[in-house]
Amino acid sequence: MLTTLDLSAIFLTLKLAALTTVILLILSPPLAWWLSRSKRFYRPFVEALVALPLVLPPTVLGFYLLLSFSPDSFLGSFWLSLTGGSLAFSFSGLLIASIIYSLPFVVQPLQSAFVNLDKDYLEVAATLGFNSAETFYRVVFPMVLPSFIIAGALGFAHTIGEFGVVLMIGGNIPGETQVLSIALFDHVETLQYEQAHLLSFTLLAFSMTLLMLIYGVLQKRQKRLNHD
Amino acid sequence: MIKFDLIKQQTKTEQALFHFQGELHLKGICAVFGDSGAGKTSFIRALAGLDNSFSGFLDFKDKTWLSDTVFIKTAQRKIGMVFQEPRLFPHLDALANLQLAGKKAKNSLYNVKQLAEQLDFTDLLSKKSHQLSGGQKQRIAIARAILTAPDLLIMDEPLSSLDQHSRQLLLPFIKKLSREIPIIYITHSMQEVFYLCQQMVLINQGTVEAIGSPQALFLDPDLSLVKHAHSGLLLNVDSLTWDQQFSLVHGLVDGQAVVLARDKKHNEQSLEIKVESKDVIIATERLASSSLQNCLTVKIDEIKSLSVNSVLLTLSTGRQKLLAKITLKSLNELNLQKNQSVFAYIKALSILGDSL
Repeated sequence: MLTTLDLSAIFLTLKLAALTTVILLILSPPLAWWLSRSKRFYRPFVEALVALPLVLPPTVLGFYLLLSFSPDSFLGSFWLSLTGGSLAFSFSGLLIASIIYSLPFVVQPLQSAFVNLDKDYLEVAATLGFNSAETFYRVVFPMVLPSFIIAGALGFAHTIGEFGVVLMIGGNIPGETQVLSIALFDHVETLQYEQAHLLSFTLLAFSMTLLMLIYGVLQKRQKRLNHD
Repeated sequence: MIKFDLIKQQTKTEQALFHFQGELHLKGICAVFGDSGAGKTSFIRALAGLDNSFSGFLDFKDKTWLSDTVFIKTAQRKIGMVFQEPRLFPHLDALANLQLAGKKAKNSLYNVKQLAEQLDFTDLLSKKSHQLSGGQKQRIAIARAILTAPDLLIMDEPLSSLDQHSRQLLLPFIKKLSREIPIIYITHSMQEVFYLCQQMVLINQGTVEAIGSPQALFLDPDLSLVKHAHSGLLLNVDSLTWDQQFSLVHGLVDGQAVVLARDKKHNEQSLEIKVESKDVIIATERLASSSLQNCLTVKIDEIKSLSVNSVLLTLSTGRQKLLAKITLKSLNELNLQKNQSVFAYIKALSILGDSL
């Protein structure tokens, strides 16, 4: 059976994933919109920066984050003076890391949805008298809604599965930074295979369901909206 | 009144790609006519502000939409736009599409229900775009443009790909609508120009070649329109009387009698007929016996060479004009001269509005 520690790890993981997803769904749309429309020469640089976590070993990212979280660094000392606590080995640090790490998983589906969005509909919106904000929430958002859900789901699932970065900057503090994947690692190290099975299978079933939903339902729906 | 001098240059060579200059009365329907690729759509996109790469100026009534320092965005121009394709939002049903158009509009001339009745889509309001035919979508798109309560309605070949039912419904409707809202109307169809429009802008090779009444422009042999001349001109026929026995309409063209075949009695006082220039036969004497019913006494106003072997005659019945295309050989054999009086026999004609 699941122990209290396991349950607390699951709860912490869900909390981290939910917060990360919400923040990313606020930050990503403007960034994705800019990436899909901008013709500036430095757009590829920004695009590469966003995509870095896809190709970089998580430990590399974790290492640099750990350095920048240290009280000697700018970010770390700023945080210390603001909150009186350290970013490294804290939930807040974990949240910041997760946002960076999961950013491409949220930005990329949105960006491709914005690229595929037919400019013709934006012209219609202009002739209906809509300004940019109205065009966004009355036309763009409803037309790319499936992609928003895909983006959120991918960001959520990816945050849940995160391991390397967490290990580097979060450590293994129960209730604060001990997430599901770390708890699982613990069980394996201490040869508690039954517990490890339980956690692994839960994670596997959850991820599989989510991905099937994305590929089976949401992507089809978005395609239908695009190619009508 | 809408006044414009709109220039779009190629960035590298600074050569003008488009240069539209002129002014239009905002009354009734103004046709924008020209060949494919001449720049008709670019012209209306510049008017609507959808293409912001134009420089110059654009004044709409007493407002400046474009100058060196001003660019009013499309959303603020209060233009209703009907694109060539309907562009209904795919995530909404027809009714929601129409309601969206009313969000920013005050005092629209019609409400959704009235438009749905007049344009015959009451049963389609709950359907989504992909469940509708092209004609159905376009009728809803036109209603959507009207519901924005525009100061100007711009239509880009709205009927070009439509079924007969939609065309017959829309043409009279658009004509009626133009009494309330000025309309700028791109078309390829001469029939539509003559049926709908009092004013016409002729676009040729990225510039405004001429602005005037359709009749005057189609008669002007100096314009690029002359290649359309073979498709003929319109004549107004008045003092109509119905002949029950032969199912015919008797009428007068500048006082000269003509007869027109018509399937059933209509109650109009006058109508317009289209006579193609290849269907006009010139004779210097009256033909003794023939099946030709309609003969007008006309004066030759102008003789213009069309090709190596054909000429175009501009004929005057008094107030009205028609065109005849004949061979150079006939011209010489009949020894036709300018200002000579001849007989013009009309082999075939169509009544405008019947064939649209």
